[in-house]
Amino acid sequence: MKLRLNNLKKSYGSRAVLDVERCEIPSGAITGLIGPNGAGKTTLMNIIAGLDAPESGEVLYGLKDGSFSPDLPKKAVTMLFQTPYMLHTTVEKNIAYPLQLRRAEREVIKRRVKNLMDDFDLTPLAKNKAWRLSGGETQKVALARAVALKPELLLLDEPTSNIDNTSVAVIEKTLDYERNKHKMTSVIISHNLAQIRRLCDYVIFMHEGRIIEQGDAKEILSKPADPRTKAFIAGELLL
Amino acid sequence: MDYIFDGIVQAIGLILSGDPVIFEVVGLSLRVSGTSVLIAVLIGIPLGILIGTREFIGKRVLLRIIYTCMSLPPVILGLFVFLILMRQGPLGAYQLNYTPTAMIIAQTLLVTPIVMGLTYNIVRDRAKDVGRLGKTLGGTGVSNVFLMLREVKGGLVIALVSAFGRAISEVGAVMIVGGNITGKTRVMTTYIAELRSMGDYSQAIAVGIILLLLSLIVNTILYQFQQRDEK
Ligand SMILES: Nc1ncnc2c1ncn2[C@@H]1O[C@H](COP(=O)(O)OP(=O)(O)OP(=O)(O)O)[C@@H](O)[C@H]1O
Ligand SMILES: [Mg+2]
Repeated sequence: MKLRLNNLKKSYGSRAVLDVERCEIPSGAITGLIGPNGAGKTTLMNIIAGLDAPESGEVLYGLKDGSFSPDLPKKAVTMLFQTPYMLHTTVEKNIAYPLQLRRAEREVIKRRVKNLMDDFDLTPLAKNKAWRLSGGETQKVALARAVALKPELLLLDEPTSNIDNTSVAVIEKTLDYERNKHKMTSVIISHNLAQIRRLCDYVIFMHEGRIIEQGDAKEILSKPADPRTKAFIAGELLL
Repeated sequence: MDYIFDGIVQAIGLILSGDPVIFEVVGLSLRVSGTSVLIAVLIGIPLGILIGTREFIGKRVLLRIIYTCMSLPPVILGLFVFLILMRQGPLGAYQLNYTPTAMIIAQTLLVTPIVMGLTYNIVRDRAKDVGRLGKTLGGTGVSNVFLMLREVKGGLVIALVSAFGRAISEVGAVMIVGGNITGKTRVMTTYIAELRSMGDYSQAIAVGIILLLLSLIVNTILYQFQQRDEK
């Protein structure tokens, strides 16, 4: 799903926290959204996910027929948070919930949940209480729950910031696989530049609410044009 | 010391023999407190959810008031209801004082803020997360309300049971508006007070034991749900 952002603005009080003139996010690719704390990454992602409304401007969602719609295609977009909320039930039922919401058939749900749990190494935890899981397990369940919907666009806000390497690998593998197999579009916010390098096709660098630079991931990460991007990538402090 | 021991033995005898006076009193207690809690739940849960999921002007003040009312002394509330229902009072025409209806009114006012406040607390803690999850999974308005109810149901049971525990064990309100009239408005707590003043300890202990058993049941349920509902 291609995305077009037009003149998105958002402020808190008198402080503008988001001011994006134009931006296009490519379809069927993994886009990394990077930038220092407070740059407005989460704000932007929440607006794309329909959780927050901009003061002006619009997000246009690319549909399958090539046209663009200003309305969020609810069933095709989902988001993963840093600390996902687990329903007060078992792991299995957490993953099944979105499918039930779509009124999928019982047998279909059963099969799909089983496959997802196998893919994410969650089978031994199937009957566990989901809200008692560790951070990494929680994130895997949340990802399985999100992927269960076969979304066209998956938004991820720092999904791997407090989980161990094996779980990180599972999550990255999933994004990679879904992109190759189902042309899923994902946008991921991460402070881990090595991860962005491994995973992303496209990179957007934000600073103080604005998009400073965007383009092919390899290019931006190896030869950033703007001094602020350069400094950020070099790990320097931004002044 | 013997009178305590004798009292307990006799009390158990009274309970086992199904003493009609005792069971009449227990029955009225359950009826009055049960009805009050039912009404409180019907009012308090929807309002608690509403307050917990919405922002509006005066919310903080309202919450202050609800929290204060949660720990209002029953005597004061009883007095207030009594004055309103008094012959010369605004609702005097209905002549409700010294009837179970007046007791139900008083206890409803006593426990509605408890149900509302506890519902608010749990909903507030989860509203944002559950709302966000429902939305990102493509739920509709209706499915999201059901999701919210499902996620807070343990907390709602806790609210209900706490309210019942409070109602069944309070003396002040039912004493003032009900007046502990034999066969009409006599409930467990007021009856115990009456029996004590008459020196009928075994009967008092018998009623006390039943009240304790009810408390035990209430607290067991509470504990179960608290365990289950823990984050
Ligand atoms: N509800 C709010 N009220 C006031 N200011 C807010 C609110 N939400 C966000 N902000 C401000 O908006 C700015 C952008 O926040 P945002 O969360 O989008 O940053 P971010 O790029 O995601 O940062 P981080 O890397 O720390 O997650 C920050 O300066 C933040 O303080
Ligand atoms: Mg953020």
